[in-house]
Amino acid sequence: MWSTAREIAAGDTVIIWLTRDVVQHLVVTPGKDFNSKFGNYRHSDFIGLPFGSKVGSRSGKGFIHVLRPTPELWTMALPHRTQILYIADISFIISYLDIRRGSRVIEAGTGSGSFSHSVARSIGSSGRLWSYEFHEARAKKAREEFAQHGMSDIVTLTHQNVCKDGFNLTDAADSVFLDLPAPWDAVEHAKQALRKDRTTRICCFSPCMEQVLRTVSALNDAGFSDITMYETLLRPHDVTQVPVLQPISEIEDKLKKAEEIREIKRLRQIAAGQRSHENPHGEKRKRGVDINEQEAPAVTEAEDSGSGKRLKTDDEMEDATLSQDGDVSRSLDAAPTHIAHAGTSSPAPPTKISVSKAITEVRGHTSYLTFATLLPPMPQAPPEDAPSLGSETV
Amino acid sequence: MSASTPFPPTPQFDTREQTVQSGNTILIRLPNGDTKAVKIDKDSTVSLGRLGGFHANELLNEPFGRTYDIVDKKLTLVPPRTLAEVGRFFPEDTDATNELINDGEFVQPLTLEEIQALKQSGAHASEIIKMQIEQHANYSLKTEYSKEKYKKRKEAKYSKTFTTIEPTLFNVCDYWFKKDQARIRDIRVDALSQILNLANIRPGGRYIAVDDASGVLVSGILERMGGLGRLITICNIDSPPPYPVMVNMNFKSETVTPVLSSLNWATAQRDHTPLVPPVDVPSDQIKSERQKSRLNKRKAATDLLNGTREDLFAGEFEALIVASDYEPFSILERLVPYLAGSASIVVQSPYVQVLSDLHTKLRALPGYLCPSVTEVWLRRYQVLPGRTHPTMNTSGSGGFILHAIKVYVSRLCGSTRVDLGVRYNDENANAITSHRRPKASASNSSNGVSTVVAADVAMADADDD
Repeated sequence: MWSTAREIAAGDTVIIWLTRDVVQHLVVTPGKDFNSKFGNYRHSDFIGLPFGSKVGSRSGKGFIHVLRPTPELWTMALPHRTQILYIADISFIISYLDIRRGSRVIEAGTGSGSFSHSVARSIGSSGRLWSYEFHEARAKKAREEFAQHGMSDIVTLTHQNVCKDGFNLTDAADSVFLDLPAPWDAVEHAKQALRKDRTTRICCFSPCMEQVLRTVSALNDAGFSDITMYETLLRPHDVTQVPVLQPISEIEDKLKKAEEIREIKRLRQIAAGQRSHENPHGEKRKRGVDINEQEAPAVTEAEDSGSGKRLKTDDEMEDATLSQDGDVSRSLDAAPTHIAHAGTSSPAPPTKISVSKAITEVRGHTSYLTFATLLPPMPQAPPEDAPSLGSETV
Repeated sequence: MSASTPFPPTPQFDTREQTVQSGNTILIRLPNGDTKAVKIDKDSTVSLGRLGGFHANELLNEPFGRTYDIVDKKLTLVPPRTLAEVGRFFPEDTDATNELINDGEFVQPLTLEEIQALKQSGAHASEIIKMQIEQHANYSLKTEYSKEKYKKRKEAKYSKTFTTIEPTLFNVCDYWFKKDQARIRDIRVDALSQILNLANIRPGGRYIAVDDASGVLVSGILERMGGLGRLITICNIDSPPPYPVMVNMNFKSETVTPVLSSLNWATAQRDHTPLVPPVDVPSDQIKSERQKSRLNKRKAATDLLNGTREDLFAGEFEALIVASDYEPFSILERLVPYLAGSASIVVQSPYVQVLSDLHTKLRALPGYLCPSVTEVWLRRYQVLPGRTHPTMNTSGSGGFILHAIKVYVSRLCGSTRVDLGVRYNDENANAITSHRRPKASASNSSNGVSTVVAADVAMADADDD
């Protein structure tokens, strides 16, 4: 398939990784440029670099990563001609269909070739993939792509409607994958194409339950057994770091302090009211402070620094409360460290933790994967009085 | 172009035999749906508990997937069951309901003793069930669905049929997951499939794996390599790791021997010289044939160890696959230097927390491109005419996967300096990083800002990528 050399050479297909969401591909062609909002590059700059290199743009602004293609990266970068299959479905189908080195596989339709590349990788140079596409332009494009990617030796692409005309194969394939609007029309053809000297498998990929039911019926009529159906998805997680969660005791203390301050404020207001009523000439200020000191000694200390010798206005009281809050949260930040030092001699515990959750919008459905098995025919003499109740669990 | 073009019938390589062979450990499905592993040895008797026993030779050279009935300790081949037998011809609508069926009513006059006697007389399961149905007082009141369930329940109880299961990677992984999912670290078959694809496993590739999951990863990698390429596993014990899952794969030796070698965490260290007993003993000191053969064995073992070490240290591996009980970042620190540029790094864990922590560490290093954490999700359906629905019970978790791509960072445009793989977190990377568009300081996790909002993280992602 793609280059396995360490360094990039002219003519290689490479994956240009711009961001997680912008992944492109190009064939390294000396003389050509690659321009993007992440800078301008000459293809010839890539030649000789090892795959996986980070390349800075000629202007020094921006960079890209130049990667070796894999079927998974190709799936991210390929030109979409149709709805494509993604890794969760592709990998599951490859496992179920037992696709591995040397396997002979049929796929219809070719579509954008996302599945084809994965199959080609798994079967290797001794395998064989027959791919069918009924849309002429798409077939042509896919054929060019396969040739470009060095897959022509193992992939045979045919422009044909398999529902009408079948696969032109008999007893040849180990497995069949059908991604068609009406897979039930191709089931008999698939049976003919599958080899009968060993266990073979089929997968039909359909987004709708109604399609599944018709497919199941057709598979059953054609003599497939072990009919089953799966749905598989991939749930990407967002990982973030958040501060270590505060214990509730901290907020309890904070609230209690706020409570005390509110009470002091209330008493002062009462005192101030009394003063203005009884003694408007200011000699009693000191007494007011005394009262405070007697009734709330713990708090005055904290307030002394800013309070001076006069009574605070409401606004100033607000400030005091805020700064108190600030102190609390500052001490909160430091709190875990203190505890750690007191408790053990181990290094301070992290002030942040990594958390993850599924991203807000995920793919909820791709398609139903209907699988069935075709067993080699039974030996000639059928067993006598075969029991009507088989053992297979469905 | 026509697909009918003949192609050379190259002999197909198989990682295992296509039929049952003596010495295989095969999987069989019992009437109650359970799967069991049994050893098949020529000229021995295979015992299946309640189902009874049979002669192992009857299964030899049989293709997998066939169903047998045990009658008088002999096997009778049973045709595969079609949906028709599971009740294809159900009426679309049924008038029957459970309106008149009450719990606890006496409905079955056939006593336990009578059933025992029937069983001992050698009556076939289908006869016993037929008799039970005939005698059942309310059977005709049941809906077709309910009748079917009843038959299936009885069948699980009396039937003596079993089906051999082809030891495909899918089936073996499924068997182990159901048997003991903790021993394979919750690697469900969908997770295993994704791991193998993400790691780009192919015939002829070169891989490093850390498999503390009973060998389910190693089995998968070997199956997909098909006897071509190189796989080095690093284990935590002094002797070769056992990988019990491989037993069920029934690999041919050509699948394993040329491909797989193992080192442990000490012998995998480049600056550690393993202590091995001397092999170059002067010939006049060799006193016996036994000693000579022992020395030869010792030399072979030492050569293998040194050869494997050289292979590992030569680097340029295509992927690192990890499913381990140990701290994953410390594993990556040791093994990522041996990966080629653009290689895949795949780490599996049953716990998302482990991978979240790893993700945070990797995000800060420019040598890891786009670390991402995903969770696998799988749902199986019962597909029966008129009764298609997801299965009532399903597995809750198939584990989590972290994937990243190794990249070289210390490369400026036009530079001809060839970087060594070990310099994966080169400081020079900053020379390029500084040309990025300015980003909010809040997205930088190391500068002490306490709140990271989702939008910032997304930005940071885009930048890091």
